[in-house]
Amino acid sequence: MVLSGWEAVFFWVFAVAAMIAALLTILAKNAVHSAMFLISTLVSVAALFVLLGAEFIAGVQILVYVGGVMVLFLFVIMLVNVSAEERGSEELFNRPAQVTASALLLGLLVLGLISATKQGVDGLNQREQARAEIPLEQRVAASEAQRERGMARASTGVSRLSRETELVGASLYRFASLPFEIASVLLLVAIVGSVLLARTTKQEVAADDVDPELLPELIKAEPELAQEGSGLTTT
Amino acid sequence: MTAYETLTNHLAAPALALFQEAAAGGRGEQILNGIKHPDLSKFLVIGALLFVIGVAGVLTRRNIIVIFMSVELILNAANLNFIAFSRYLQLTGNQNAVAGQVFTVFIIVVAAAEAAIGLGIVIALYRNRETIFLDKIDLLKW
Repeated sequence: MVLSGWEAVFFWVFAVAAMIAALLTILAKNAVHSAMFLISTLVSVAALFVLLGAEFIAGVQILVYVGGVMVLFLFVIMLVNVSAEERGSEELFNRPAQVTASALLLGLLVLGLISATKQGVDGLNQREQARAEIPLEQRVAASEAQRERGMARASTGVSRLSRETELVGASLYRFASLPFEIASVLLLVAIVGSVLLARTTKQEVAADDVDPELLPELIKAEPELAQEGSGLTTT
Repeated sequence: MTAYETLTNHLAAPALALFQEAAAGGRGEQILNGIKHPDLSKFLVIGALLFVIGVAGVLTRRNIIVIFMSVELILNAANLNFIAFSRYLQLTGNQNAVAGQVFTVFIIVVAAAEAAIGLGIVIALYRNRETIFLDKIDLLKW
């Protein structure tokens, strides 16, 4: 896998954009800014997915992450009060000792990851000694030829489309059909769970879902709960 | 020995030697080729850096929502590695190369479920404790 020409240019543009936006995500004071920078990181990574020939995953990333998860994040940021950090009344980071300790740990992690990546890639290259001995131009040409072969003519015969999505869909429904079903159950559980978690006390009382011994205390704290509870228990 | 001598003898000279060695041994050309033709290792390094930035966010921030965002960053770094290896295996003729992309779909599904549950917990927590800063949430600490 060797990129070349404009692909290489776009690789560097999106890689650097992803890095900078990721750094700004964890450094931004305002949580809304963090969310915006995270969105740009996710879009840049989606562009890297396109460069890697995974158009379907790139689309899913944009639709699910940027269109779904990040909107959820923004809603929650609006619901809870996070302006304390921005006003300066709350510290942004943990205490210095904790930050230093984690920075040391991170330094080790970076060294380990980079040396592991280097060793792993060297190992892969050695395993394919024959490939490593081929000159770079030929490898680039082979990479491009492979991509050409992966393209199928569209029905009009004019344009050419990647067959990647077709392959992913086929294996998702054939080889990964059981995990696929389990994932749908997981999503159902997540929906029910988050609805249950985010209920207010009033909603819990209305649904008659409170411990009977706890109910008098709650009503004493908030008298209007009495109507909610009695309204439903009598019906 | 002055500070200047120390600097030139111990820092500048070895650096210059390294640079000359690199230029003579064709290392410079190799690096240029690496920039002009990014391969698997570049994607892995980007993935590793994204992962490390995410871990840094989880370890150092106090705002629980930003920590959730950092977790999303970590998951995305893993996705990038999966896709890069999937592409690499595809070009080496592996028949099951698309498995990496299928796994990525599942990671995205689990990440979405995790975000929904996590943010539900954040809302419940905020309703009860009036804060989203992790060091203020110490009910179970003694």
